[in-house]
Amino acid sequence: MLKSILGGVTAALMLSSAASATDLIIYHNWSSGPEVAALNVLKAGLEAKGHTWTDIAIPHDTGSNVNLMNLVTGGTPPNVFLESSPGVYRDLIGLGLGRPLTEFFTEQGILEHYPTSVVSSITVDGEIMKIPTAIHIDGMAYYNMDVAKAAGVDPASWNSLDAMFADFQKIRDAGYIPIAIGGQQWQVGYLTHALAAATGGPEFYNGLYGAEPDPSVIDSADMRTLLETLRRFQQEADEGSVNREWNVTTNMVITGKALMQIHGDWMKGEWTAAGKVAGTDFGCVQIPGAKAVPVTVDSWGILGGQPADVDAAELDFAAVVADPQIQADFSAAKGSTPTRLDAPAEVLDACSTEVLHILEDADHQVPNPHSTVDADWQNSIWDVVFNFWSDPSMSVDDAIAQIQENYDIILG
Amino acid sequence: MSQFSVSERAAASGAMSQTRAPYFVRKKKGITPRTIAILVFLSICALFFCVPLYVVVVTSFKTMDQIREGAIFSLPTIWTLEAWDHAWNQACSGIKCEGLKVGFWNSVFILFPSLILSISLAMVTGFALALWNVRWAGAFLFLLFICAFVPFQIIMYPLIVMTTTTKIYGTLWAVAVIHAVLAMPVLTLIFRNYYKDIPTEIMSAAMMDSGSFWRIFFEIIVPMSGNILIVVLILQITSIWNDYLIGVTFGGLSGQPMTVNLANLITISTGTTNYAHNMAAALLTAIPPLVVYFLVGKLFVQGVTAGAIKG
Repeated sequence: MLKSILGGVTAALMLSSAASATDLIIYHNWSSGPEVAALNVLKAGLEAKGHTWTDIAIPHDTGSNVNLMNLVTGGTPPNVFLESSPGVYRDLIGLGLGRPLTEFFTEQGILEHYPTSVVSSITVDGEIMKIPTAIHIDGMAYYNMDVAKAAGVDPASWNSLDAMFADFQKIRDAGYIPIAIGGQQWQVGYLTHALAAATGGPEFYNGLYGAEPDPSVIDSADMRTLLETLRRFQQEADEGSVNREWNVTTNMVITGKALMQIHGDWMKGEWTAAGKVAGTDFGCVQIPGAKAVPVTVDSWGILGGQPADVDAAELDFAAVVADPQIQADFSAAKGSTPTRLDAPAEVLDACSTEVLHILEDADHQVPNPHSTVDADWQNSIWDVVFNFWSDPSMSVDDAIAQIQENYDIILG
Repeated sequence: MSQFSVSERAAASGAMSQTRAPYFVRKKKGITPRTIAILVFLSICALFFCVPLYVVVVTSFKTMDQIREGAIFSLPTIWTLEAWDHAWNQACSGIKCEGLKVGFWNSVFILFPSLILSISLAMVTGFALALWNVRWAGAFLFLLFICAFVPFQIIMYPLIVMTTTTKIYGTLWAVAVIHAVLAMPVLTLIFRNYYKDIPTEIMSAAMMDSGSFWRIFFEIIVPMSGNILIVVLILQITSIWNDYLIGVTFGGLSGQPMTVNLANLITISTGTTNYAHNMAAALLTAIPPLVVYFLVGKLFVQGVTAGAIKG
C-alpha cells in the first residue's frame, strides 16, 4: 500500500510540470492582518504552480485539534492543515491518512538548511511529518529603546538574569515598570519553559519537555533554580498583571510605561502594527545569559492516502513553503523568522536577523513543548506553575511534589 | 386577558373581605425614602451592568492609536466608523477578507429552516402527546426529558457520521437540521405542557365537530398557540444565532455561521489584535437577537405569564 503510494508519488513528481491543476483545501487558524498577508505569499506561490487555494479558517489551538478531526470524520478532510501537535499526526496515521515527508525533504536537500530545533519539531516518532513555515522564539526580551535610554540601562549588555534584576531598582527610580508581565496561565507556562531553557539548558529542558520526559529532572537543582527564578519574576510583576492579555502587556512597553517584556517574539507584530521599527524604536535580545532558547515552529501537515495528482499538488505546496525566497517574504509579512538559515537576509529586520544568528548554534535551541510533548503532561505543568505563580505562599517543594505526582498519574 | 381576570378577581375579593383592603391604600402612599433608596440602588446596579457595554460601544468608535494608550473609559478623541465598516465588509476569516456579512447571511440561512423545522415538529409532537391518546406517551415523555439533558459533545461523533451518510455534512442544512433535532426534547416538552392546559371541553367539542387530527391542529390548536410560539421563537432564535459549537462542527467549508467568523476574528493567539474591530464585530453579531427582543420582548413576557397563571 505504502509502496504503491510512494511509487505514484515519484511518478507524479517526475510529471509535475505536466501535472493538472488541483484544488487544495487549506485549513488554518490565521485571520489577523499580518497573518493573512503572509498566507497570501503562500497562495501566490501555490498558484504559480498552477493550483488553486480553497480556504477554511477555524480558530483552534487546543493541542488536540477537534475541528480538524471532525472534518476528517465527516469525510471532508482538508488537504493541507496548520497543525503542530504530534498527537494529531498520530491520529491521522492511525486512520491511514498520515503522509510522511522524510523522503521528500531528504531528496530536495532541504533538511540541512533548517536549525536543529526545527528538525526536531517537525519529526513525529522518527518520521518527518510537518512542513515548517515560521519560527518564533518563546522567550525574547523586547525593550523600548527610549525608556532604556531614559533609565540609563542597556538590556543588550546584560549577560545574566542577576545582572538584569540588579538594574531594576534604577529603572523603577526613573519611573518605569522594569518588566511587563501578562499573568495568564499560558503566558506563565510559556515563561516557564523559556526560563527552563535559559537557566537549565537543553539537557534539563528535554528531560522536562522532551518527547519522553525524564522523571529524574523533576526533583533536581535545575528545577529549583527554574522555580525560584519564576518566583522572582512573579514578584516583579506589576499590579495590573493578573489575567492581562499579552497584547495589552506589549502595549505597556510600546507606550513607554514599562521597559520590557519577556514573551514569545510574535509580539513584534504589535510593535510593527504601532509603526515602530526594530533596531531603532525597540530592541530584542534573548533572555539574559540564556543557555538555550525554545523555538516555536508553526507547521503545516498534508493529507495522505490521496490520488497521485492530489498528492503531487500537496507536495507542490510543501515545496512552496520550503522555498527560501518565499520563506523570507512570508516572514517579512507575518513578523516571524524564516525556518531556513539560508533565507535571503535583505528582507529581514533586526530582530529576525538576531534570531537566525542565535539559531546558527545547533546546541543553543530546543523545540517548543507543543510540537513534541504529550498534551496532558504539558497542561499539568501549566497548572502547577500557574498555581505556584498565583499563590506566593506555595513553596518550591510543593510545586515539585505536585509535578512529581502528575508525572506518576500521566506518564508513570 | 387572563391578567385582567386575575385583577378583577382580586378586586372582587378585596371588596368582599375588609382584611385585604391595605393593598389599595399602599398604592397612594407616594414616594417614600424607601422607594428612593430602592430606585437609587437599582439605577446603580443598572449602571454597573452597563459599564462593559459602554466600554464595548465606545471602543468600537476609537482609533487603535487611542486604544493603545489604555484609558478604556475615555470617549473617542476622533469618532470613527472605520471599525464597523471593517468588521462588516473587510474582516478576515482566514484568507477571505469579506467581512462578517458572509457569516451573517449564513446565520440567516441556518436560522429560518431550523426554526420552521424545530417548531413545527415540536408543535405537532407536543399536541399529540398532550391531547391525544398516544400509546407509550408517558414513557416517550420521560425519554424526551432524559434527552434534554444529554450534552451535545457526547453525541457529536455519531451525529457527524449521520450527517455524512445523509450527505449534508458541511452544509448550511446540516447545521440547521442538527439545531432542530437538538432542540426537539425541550421544545416538545414546552408545547406539551402548554397544550395540556387546554380545557377538555374545547377538545371534546372539536372531536365531535371533525375528529381529524390535522384539522383540529390547524384550526384550533395553532390559532391558540400565539403566546407560546413567541416564547419558543425567542428561545430558538437566541440559541441558534448565538451557537458556535454546532456551526463550527457541522458547517464545514461553506456553512459557517457568523459566530465562527467572529471567533476567527477575535481568537488570535500570536497575531496582532485590533480591539476596535473586535468590539464592532461583537456588537454586530449581538444585534440581531437584541432586535428580536426589542420587537417581541413584550409578547415574550405575556407568553410566559400566560403559561404561569393557570385557569
